[in-house]
Amino acid sequence: MNLLTDLLSGLMPFDWLEPAFMRRALIGMLFIAPACAAMGVQVVSFRMAFFSDAISHSAFTGVALGLIFGINSHWTMVGFGVLVGCGVLVFSRKAVLSTDTVIGVFFAAVVALGIVIVSARRGLSRYFESVLFGDILAIDSNELWIMFFLFLLVFLFQAIGYNKLLLISLHSPLAHSRGIKPARWEIAYGILLAFLVMISLRAVGLLLVTALLVVPAAAARNLARSGSGLIWWSVLIATISAGVGLFLSYIWGSATGATVILVSVFFFICSYLIRLVMGR
Amino acid sequence: MKLLPRIKSMTNAAITLEHVSVELGGHKIIDDVSCQIDSGYLTAIMGPNGTGKTTLLHAILGLLPFTGNIRFNRQLSSRRPRIGYVPQNVDLDRGSPVTVGDFLAVGFAKRPLWMGIHRQIEAEIKKVLERVGVLVVYNLPLGKISGGELQRVLLAQALLGKPEILLLDEPTAAVDISGEALFCELLEEVHNDLKLTTILVTHDLSVVAAHAHNVLCLNHSLICAGPTKDMLTKENLMRVFSPHTELFLQQHNHTLPDNKGNHESSD
Repeated sequence: MNLLTDLLSGLMPFDWLEPAFMRRALIGMLFIAPACAAMGVQVVSFRMAFFSDAISHSAFTGVALGLIFGINSHWTMVGFGVLVGCGVLVFSRKAVLSTDTVIGVFFAAVVALGIVIVSARRGLSRYFESVLFGDILAIDSNELWIMFFLFLLVFLFQAIGYNKLLLISLHSPLAHSRGIKPARWEIAYGILLAFLVMISLRAVGLLLVTALLVVPAAAARNLARSGSGLIWWSVLIATISAGVGLFLSYIWGSATGATVILVSVFFFICSYLIRLVMGR
Repeated sequence: MKLLPRIKSMTNAAITLEHVSVELGGHKIIDDVSCQIDSGYLTAIMGPNGTGKTTLLHAILGLLPFTGNIRFNRQLSSRRPRIGYVPQNVDLDRGSPVTVGDFLAVGFAKRPLWMGIHRQIEAEIKKVLERVGVLVVYNLPLGKISGGELQRVLLAQALLGKPEILLLDEPTAAVDISGEALFCELLEEVHNDLKLTTILVTHDLSVVAAHAHNVLCLNHSLICAGPTKDMLTKENLMRVFSPHTELFLQQHNHTLPDNKGNHESSD
């Protein structure tokens, strides 16, 4: 990763990329944003934004558990988030309730538990600012490696599963008749999404992580003219938003994650206007 | 053991159902259905709405848990046969840019759609779309085509997998009467060309009378099974449809079209 950060300073000799933490932040964002954008295509087609929100909001409890038990709170946060994701996936299949009701119950449970723990142990609250708003400027080399592997894993998954997930989202029984196992693919997708959400929290914080998934994919729907264009537009918008957002946050001294999301929202508005003008 | 009703004893059975029951949410939707579905023929599963026709089709597809046995003819293939499925309702996301070509490609192509559609796959898709008469919709978004075109596209996707068995669930439910007639004619043409074992779920008696060789009458349990001509009797129809039957018989002046007795089996 050091080689990559050195290479970046050679290729892009800008003032704002002079500090090593800015270079690491840019590389981190360039791994996380496209991965979220690619997975976001299915978040939109499966209507899973609320699922992503429930997982991200479990971060409070995950971090608190780590601090209480003296385990690395990054790992308890990721582990707890994935556990919540699995819980939602299993319960929404078994329960007679609708998926959004099941997610609503999980959402309430994890947020309430987090608040109870944090409020009972007042000393914990100072750890939560970075969970709320993210802190991409503070990532270290190990975290970059994790983001890199997750980036590879997401695109490998999309190479194998994109067609299957698209068919499942269009008509699940039809996908089944083609020999695809919808339940297995949906669970695999949900677990990978839970991982991605928890790792991406570091970049944009729990309040905005769903935006990283949904906004570029929503803009892509306005611009793409085919199913193949969806993922490319989404990745392109997310990547440009990551670079421009990081630069603007440096200039303005604003929170990096929120600035990146604001740029992607700007692209969404442009895409919507383009769609209106084109009459599609 | 109960004797299995056979639709035609001279032909091979493509699918054999033995004491098949399906229970959903404590209700018995399918109750002890045993029959054989002949290879190479067009068989209609007929009955009013809500009597388990689609459920039986889903059991054959393996989408639902059931008790009893569903066996496929091993002469057709050594494994589970390739099944082409035309679903009843496709609740399409109208704002999605996914095109008809994309939809047909994702069921078959190994290469992810975002890496492009292989030329050979594209050529195959266009050939099948031409066969069902809707080649013009290849580049259109799936949400922008008409109900009649969508039914043909769904038939195309079922045929693309080179199926040994074709299952259609109320394929004409969403189209008007002329669209229904055109689709049924197309289905009969395709059936005659390919000699596929075809199962058509419908509540429409006129479709059954005009196009099906054999019929299974279903009202949770099996009411009757056999050649269409022999089965569409006033007594059977009263047992399956009860209040609707008089209306049909009045409309059709008490006469029923000939069945397709001259159909040749593919076996």
